[in-house]
Amino acid sequence: MVDHTPHDSAWAHVTGEAVYVDDIAVAGVPLVGYVFSSPHAHARIRSFDVRDARSIPGVYAVLGSQDIPGENQLGPVVKDEVCLASGEVECVGQAIFLIAAETEDLCREAAKRIIIDFEPLPAVVDLPAAMAGGMLLGAPRKIERGNAAAELLRAPHTLQGELHTGAQEHWYLETQVALSVPGEGEELLVYSSTQHPSETQALVADVLGIHRNDVVVEVRRLGGGFGGKETQANHPACWSALLARATRRPVKIRLFRDDDMSMTGKRHPYLIRYEAGFDAEGRLLAVTLELHADGGMATDLSFAILERAMLHVDNAYFIPDISVVGCVWKTHLPSNTAFRGFGGPQGMAVMETIIDRVARALRLDAAEVRRRNFYASPDRVTTHYGQVVEGDRLQTMFARLVASSGYGERRSAVREFNTTQEFRRRGLALTPVKFGISFTTTFLNQAGALVLIYADGTVLVNHGGVEMGQGLHTKIRSIAAAELGLPLARVRVNATNTSKIPNTSATAASSGADLNGMAVKRAIDTLKERIGPAMAQLFNERYEGELTRAEDLRWVRGAIIDSEHPERMMPFVQAMQAMHLRQIPLSAAGFFSTPGIGWDKVSGKGRPFLYYAFGMAVTEVEVDLLTGGHTILRTDILHDVGDSLHEGIDRGQIEGGFIQGAGWCTTEEILRDENGRLLTHAPDTYKIPTAGDIPPDFRVTFLDGVPNPLAVRNSKAVGEPPFMLALSVWLAIKDAICADAGGEPHFPIPATREVILNAIEELRQLTAEHARA
Amino acid sequence: MQSTVLFVLDGQLVRLGFSPGGYPHVTTTLLQYLRSLPGHRGVKEGCAEGDCGACTVVLAEPDGDGGLRYRAVDSCLFFLPMIHGKQVITVENLRDPSGNLHGVQQAMVDEFGSQCGFCTPGVVMSLFALHKTLSAPKREQVVDAIAGNLCRCTGYRSIIDAGLGAVGSGAGDQFHADAGRIHDLLLSIPRDGLMIETGGRRYSRPSTIEEALDARRREPDAVVLCGATDTALRVTKNHEEIPSIIDLSGIAALRAQRRTDAAFFFGAAVTIQEVMDTAEKGIPSLAGMLAVFGSRQIRNIATIGGNVGTASPIGDTLPVLVALGAEIELTGSHGVRRLPVEEMLTGYRRTACRSDELITGVSIPRIPSDITVRAYKVSRRADLDISTVSAAFRVRVDGDGTVDGAILAFGGMAEKVRRARSTEEFLQGRPWTRETVDKAMAGLSDEFRPLCDVRGSASFRAAVARNLLLKFWAETAGANGQRAVASAEGVHG
Ligand SMILES: Cc1cc2nc3c(=O)[nH]c(=O)nc-3n(C[C@H](O)[C@H](O)[C@H](O)COP(=O)(O)OP(=O)(O)OC[C@H]3O[C@@H](n4cnc5c(N)ncnc54)[C@H](O)[C@@H]3O)c2cc1C
Ligand code: FES
Ligand code: FES
Repeated sequence: MVDHTPHDSAWAHVTGEAVYVDDIAVAGVPLVGYVFSSPHAHARIRSFDVRDARSIPGVYAVLGSQDIPGENQLGPVVKDEVCLASGEVECVGQAIFLIAAETEDLCREAAKRIIIDFEPLPAVVDLPAAMAGGMLLGAPRKIERGNAAAELLRAPHTLQGELHTGAQEHWYLETQVALSVPGEGEELLVYSSTQHPSETQALVADVLGIHRNDVVVEVRRLGGGFGGKETQANHPACWSALLARATRRPVKIRLFRDDDMSMTGKRHPYLIRYEAGFDAEGRLLAVTLELHADGGMATDLSFAILERAMLHVDNAYFIPDISVVGCVWKTHLPSNTAFRGFGGPQGMAVMETIIDRVARALRLDAAEVRRRNFYASPDRVTTHYGQVVEGDRLQTMFARLVASSGYGERRSAVREFNTTQEFRRRGLALTPVKFGISFTTTFLNQAGALVLIYADGTVLVNHGGVEMGQGLHTKIRSIAAAELGLPLARVRVNATNTSKIPNTSATAASSGADLNGMAVKRAIDTLKERIGPAMAQLFNERYEGELTRAEDLRWVRGAIIDSEHPERMMPFVQAMQAMHLRQIPLSAAGFFSTPGIGWDKVSGKGRPFLYYAFGMAVTEVEVDLLTGGHTILRTDILHDVGDSLHEGIDRGQIEGGFIQGAGWCTTEEILRDENGRLLTHAPDTYKIPTAGDIPPDFRVTFLDGVPNPLAVRNSKAVGEPPFMLALSVWLAIKDAICADAGGEPHFPIPATREVILNAIEELRQLTAEHARA
Repeated sequence: MQSTVLFVLDGQLVRLGFSPGGYPHVTTTLLQYLRSLPGHRGVKEGCAEGDCGACTVVLAEPDGDGGLRYRAVDSCLFFLPMIHGKQVITVENLRDPSGNLHGVQQAMVDEFGSQCGFCTPGVVMSLFALHKTLSAPKREQVVDAIAGNLCRCTGYRSIIDAGLGAVGSGAGDQFHADAGRIHDLLLSIPRDGLMIETGGRRYSRPSTIEEALDARRREPDAVVLCGATDTALRVTKNHEEIPSIIDLSGIAALRAQRRTDAAFFFGAAVTIQEVMDTAEKGIPSLAGMLAVFGSRQIRNIATIGGNVGTASPIGDTLPVLVALGAEIELTGSHGVRRLPVEEMLTGYRRTACRSDELITGVSIPRIPSDITVRAYKVSRRADLDISTVSAAFRVRVDGDGTVDGAILAFGGMAEKVRRARSTEEFLQGRPWTRETVDKAMAGLSDEFRPLCDVRGSASFRAAVARNLLLKFWAETAGANGQRAVASAEGVHG
């Protein structure tokens, strides 16, 4: 089944009719909710006075932690993140008071009139300081195989170093937003731009001190999420709920862009120390890694992210002896959080750096060194945590991509170009991705669905996943239509709503279609099991002769047909009317949990993933040695999506993920001052890619003929893996500037112009020293 | 003087009055106003500072030739009175009366140009404006049209393909059919000045230079604006209240362009885009610089007078104007005077424009063919970014290969755009060779104490400034085909 129909919201998007939370009309004009937040990274609140602020006409509420009727707590895993600060603030931008007023101007005025006396406390605002201060956020983690330390001593060659990877702002176009509408009694309806409606619902209930059956969270669509609305959307939802409860009026909180950027967490910056031993052919023998994450002021999802980073340090390579240690450190910064790839990018970046350095040290082509290190049958197939990797997928993809991208010829052309130019260099890099699909917190791998068939033959699908642009609803709709044998026009996917599907997991870990798609399929299976016998009976009442058996019924082309007696056929609409008359229930719930996975976080062993998604990219860049500027000339991507559920959507995920990754690797730099204030708090200084930054020659191909029996309709998850293909951009730039220099420059992520220009200078000096020596 | 703003929305004439304490205010943005209406919530806010394009709408105005010209603008930077006399078109207006999608909308659907869809209305409007101007745009033109539209989801390839695929969609659409009526409707709107006073706030939009000077004399403290791309941020980002505004965008005389054998003249209110279009046919160094100025939406409203008026150390026209020897025309009640750009720039965001004067134009002399001028902009990102360092170099090389007259003007290196005078002197009379340039580069470092900020450290700026000189030399005098490579990359360093 290859689907070419448009994105299920495309029409609404291009006409402007698509409704986002800020566009929802409710009865009565909602009050404007506003957050008064900390100007200090770390301070004690000595005293405060909000009476003046409250007295402004048109201001309906000014709430502090003491006004929270329930629990003052938003920590999703560990209860270490308050909803409103009380006593102490631990980052700039931490919420202290909430204001509801008729207009935003009145909110600002009220905020100005809040009197608060802070006693500033020592603040730790970067990772090195946190490490020096021993500020661990939890116990370190470890995954090991063999004896890496001993093997390093025996290895013929070794190298070591440190890699810094930077924070990244999600920059969803729609900032965090929630609208809470009080109903009768304790009832509350929350429209939230959240990736995790069930958690939002649970936290709203906890903060208000009411029950989950009082709270409904509804999500039509997000204007982008990327992980940034997995836990961070809970905050505005709870804040607006508190204000709605206090004022008994609808209250909307929509964060102003600068506030959103200043208040919310980012991708975790990592400092990674590495040491690697390898042989003369460039095969890795032993690697030790220390991963240090800047967690920010609270735990949030930092450990799940660290785990994924530790589980992806091998990327696509078999490393006989390896030791990985991971730590999360506390800083007085907004709590860092989920972001597409979820630790994977940081883990893979260090291994790709190692391989890149091995290749340069041995004067071998880096792509060839990668190939030599790939997982391969029969005896190089087990990861450091004990899961087996499909042996030859990487080799197959490598061979195809090297051929289709003309890697060999282009390598020569690049070399040729570089000898003829004084101020420009070209570089080429091929990098692979092997990404594990499943939540590493095993119980989260579950999903629910509720499929309703109406007597007019139309179908409404509810499921627990959230549409944030990734095309989940489009895929779910086509899964449902295909399972029911109906044209797409007869199937609609409902807004996600916690009163339809309870206790769901976040739409994250690229698992949206896998889990929810299966749940929908299960619901439809149940419907078919119920309807089948009733339809068989119906046919048997109408037709003489051999009996129709339920198992011979086929749901195809908008009808139900007895495959053994094709003349026994009834259009879907009539069939459903008939079923309704015969009192057959036409709605069913479906539930799915991923079988056969599980791992032990303590020993670091097991099978955390149901399967792996693979991808590979070749990128060519040109660097201006005088300004540090780079241009991507061409990118070729070969990606394994199993049997694509939807080619247009999968391609969009690959391209979009890659470009987002390219931003992380190059222009997106988060800068703070020494007081922990975000300096790059608006798009005038924080630079995500624009149309002019993408490769003008951008070739994306799916690996064909590789159905994945482990996921719905033989597909593979596609949301996150392509992000990490952008490491090819980063390493192509490095390849370009190292082309004729002997040495290893300091080359962190992001490689901004300044980093690149400094690296060029560093290499120039190294080369000069070399020449002198 | 009248106090009602008249414009066309949904094909109908709208009369918008302002009342004290009421809504909207004179500094309410077009974005806020549109979103307050039930039928225009497709227009989105992503940043409120002109950097994302989610708020893009299209303005149509009589083109002076009986037709309409369509321009994409960021509605978040547009104060409401500035739409006087214009047609506002939003994404909701694009479908034809029978409900069919416009060609650019259909192309976006077909190419999977939307994912989360939040950027999409803005993207659609940028593509719409493009297709109302060009029937078959090339890839660079599509990229230029959407460079001011950030999309975090798609990676842009699909959007670019949609822009390429919508060939001819602007020609026969319902706007084409209705253009005559709209044209006449717009012409029926009186062009005389506006004066709006609401609750202690005053907004005047004079229609002549004399009226503007009068207003200036009456209220020396009023904020003067033209495109407002700089000034609007004070309201949308800093939430300042501006008590009194004098908006020059309604003065037809300031929008004049003249060309003589000796010089180009641009009225102060000529937009950056219009300057760029003219410069492409005669001032390549300026055209190249403007190609990486903001985005299409910004260039469509930002003015050259405003860029001089900001006197920003990173104002992109300024180094080029210095290198070209441009003069600024100032008009006051006492008459007109002309100042070289350098004399105009007196300090950090300070100009020589007196409180009873206005910038009325910029005059750029034609450059003899034996003089080479080139401009460079180095920023974190190629498009829609503020310069970290900018530079414009001018050199004349004698028949014997020695330098006779050099101007090296830099932005981002000091509190204002400044020339590297000692280095210029050093170059004078020396052979225009790599050796000379190497020595000049060493000297350049002593001339500036560049600032250190989020756009770059002082040492980075210094290194870039030096290297740009070398780049200039390599491109204009260097050997083995550097010239060709350089022009392929354009101005962006
Ligand atoms: C998203 C974005 C991107 C930008 N990118 C760039 C860029 O790449 N390069 C760049 O140089 N700038 C850039 N800018 C800044 C700005 O757009 C320019 O400086 C522009 O030229 C200002 O023109 P304006 O007419 O819009 O200015 P206004 O806001 O109308 O005026 C700017 C200043 O000049 C004064 N002024 C205006 N006209 C006159 C006059 N006739 N007489 C006396 N004083 C006057 C005003 O009082 C004010 O102080 C950008 C701005 C934004 C918001
Ligand atoms: S809202 Fe971002 S440009 Fe206007
Ligand atoms: S489609 Fe989501 S930002 Fe463009």
